Amino acid sequence: MKTNVATGNMSAGQRVKSFIQKSPARMAFIIACILYIATIAISPSSLNASAIGSIIMLTLLLSFASAGQTIVLIGGGMDFGVGAVMSSAAILTTTIMNSQDGHFLQLLVTALAMGALVGMINGLCTVKIGLPPLIVTMAIANVVTRMQYVLTQGSPMGYASPTFIKSVTARLFGLQFLPSIVLYAIIIIPLVYFLLNRSRFGKQVYLVGNNPVAARLNGVNVAKIQVLTYVFSGMFAAFAGMLGAAYMNAARCQIFDEYAYNSLIAVIIGGTLFSGGVGSYTGSIAGSLVLVVLSNLLTAVGFTQPQRNVAMGLIMVALLILYNREKNVRQ
Amino acid sequence: MTNVKSAMTRFRRSPAFVGFILFLVALVLNALLQGPASFFTVKTINTLFAKNVPFILVTIAQSILLLAGTMDVSCGVQVALVNVVIIMCGQELGLPFFVCCLLGIAAAVIASLVCWVCCSVFRLPALLASYALTYAIKGVNVLIMSVPQGKVAKVYYKAYDSQILGFIPVSALALVLVLLIWLYVKRTRFGSHIYAVGANPRNAFAAGISPVKVQLKAFLLKGVIVGIAGICITLMIASGNPLQAEDYGLRSLSACIIGGLGFGGWGSVSCAVFGSGFYVFIQNSVYYFFSLLVKMIPGFSVTSYWQNFVSDIIIFLGLLMTIVTAKGQREALKQGIVSQFRLNGKPAAAGKEGDGDEN
Repeated sequence: MKTNVATGNMSAGQRVKSFIQKSPARMAFIIACILYIATIAISPSSLNASAIGSIIMLTLLLSFASAGQTIVLIGGGMDFGVGAVMSSAAILTTTIMNSQDGHFLQLLVTALAMGALVGMINGLCTVKIGLPPLIVTMAIANVVTRMQYVLTQGSPMGYASPTFIKSVTARLFGLQFLPSIVLYAIIIIPLVYFLLNRSRFGKQVYLVGNNPVAARLNGVNVAKIQVLTYVFSGMFAAFAGMLGAAYMNAARCQIFDEYAYNSLIAVIIGGTLFSGGVGSYTGSIAGSLVLVVLSNLLTAVGFTQPQRNVAMGLIMVALLILYNREKNVRQ
Repeated sequence: MTNVKSAMTRFRRSPAFVGFILFLVALVLNALLQGPASFFTVKTINTLFAKNVPFILVTIAQSILLLAGTMDVSCGVQVALVNVVIIMCGQELGLPFFVCCLLGIAAAVIASLVCWVCCSVFRLPALLASYALTYAIKGVNVLIMSVPQGKVAKVYYKAYDSQILGFIPVSALALVLVLLIWLYVKRTRFGSHIYAVGANPRNAFAAGISPVKVQLKAFLLKGVIVGIAGICITLMIASGNPLQAEDYGLRSLSACIIGGLGFGGWGSVSCAVFGSGFYVFIQNSVYYFFSLLVKMIPGFSVTSYWQNFVSDIIIFLGLLMTIVTAKGQREALKQGIVSQFRLNGKPAAAGKEGDGDEN
């Protein structure tokens, strides 16, 4: 428990930490701005509208994937299968659409159903059988990935339909920095806010993540809420996978697998605790922005791929240290 | 007679029991599907050990960390790091092979120390911190060796592939060495401290055990074992490959859980051996099952995708089974050993109370 010490008594390090932890989302936005200014300083040509548009697009894509992850983490679990569900949804998109218009509704229903099904299996195994969420979501993600290979024999065919691609990547009103994925965001982001902050379900998720025993004693159906968080995570991941397929045009197996970890890190940077009960979607969006701008910075600096990997790893560790809220063992 | 009986009951209640059952089932399945005549030959057993000892060693290293309450997903890329360091030291610096191996082990220990700093000193979530380090170590691997290359002197890799006394594979000796090291370590004070720190670091600290120091020793031990695994893999592939073994990290984690380990303070290293053995035998079994089907049903052909799919499903089912029964064991232990003895020595009903009850 953090006692409220007068700011004057704290050392500089403690002051920085309390500034960060009072509003992790605000801190993440500041970090993203700093990183972007560094990008422009290193390569001034990267300050163009089209590049900003790409950043916005990738950030929104990661935010959609992290939406479900946020809900699951607040509820006290963890969903490692976001990447696998996204990749499967991407493959479903290219297979069902097959470069023809008119299959959107069919695709939407199929992808969301698949996401919900995987989410339900995740939720049931975690909650009803009591497996640790990390292990079970990982194992199910493995099975889903293998199923991708089996169903496509390793090489998925087809492309997303042209209208769908345009609805994701085209620039609105001719403005290069406004990709039309923003239209999807106008629907999804308020939806997530409503789910988390204004609905009874959201309040119960916070309660369950904070103290499951107290929640159950208060009449909340803990098992149902936890399973529902996994179902939502699966559905959001599937939707993000559909949009990702439109962004990448064609899909291959395991195309979005890195989004599993990336969404986890984005949500943690956004201030959600691993133990659950605390967090917000603003933070996840800010965390996604940080990750995308960081990746952009490393490309602009001109690192080779292995150097990028090293820098990415070290900077992620630094960010985690900044955001670490674990209590000391000594107290 | 009662001694044997009580030893059997003790084994039945130990965490490794479920893993042992799964291991036996997978072993029998493999032997049946491959054909007992061809399974129990020296050559098959040699290949089994030679190809899989690196994975088993990595799982043992992971289990030591799990006992101490952390984990390290970067074990896999650390094995590749050791491999790359050994080959490049021999190639660029011209050092003798033995010195290169020592340098490889040192590299693994340094990587483990970095992970220790992140997970124990800064108390970052072990999963995320070690995943970030996976990125970093992967980059370092490729920086050290850009393309797969290199060779190992023939005498060394031939020795790795051969047998002693006609039937003991040399690769099994690495496994035995590591297990002997662990048996020795378990008898020291450090051995019991690991369990204390893994179960509850705060209580351990209140009892005078320093979690940071204990986890430091655990990470050092894990670095040494990963180094030995790296040497084995170098001898096995007789060259260098910076991009290999990345999946060892997560697979070793689930192999430990299949064997019956829990996330801190529960289980033993034999769980890891049984868990990784289960993995190995299941993959072999699925392979031989499908080749049997190909023989029996004319015109039936299946790609390796199906084999991977089926073996992953079986591993998932094995996971379900392990944790259901292990959970029952843990609940029974919590309810008190006395009630266990009263129930005719049977553990309490497995997992029937798993009703969102995981506090």
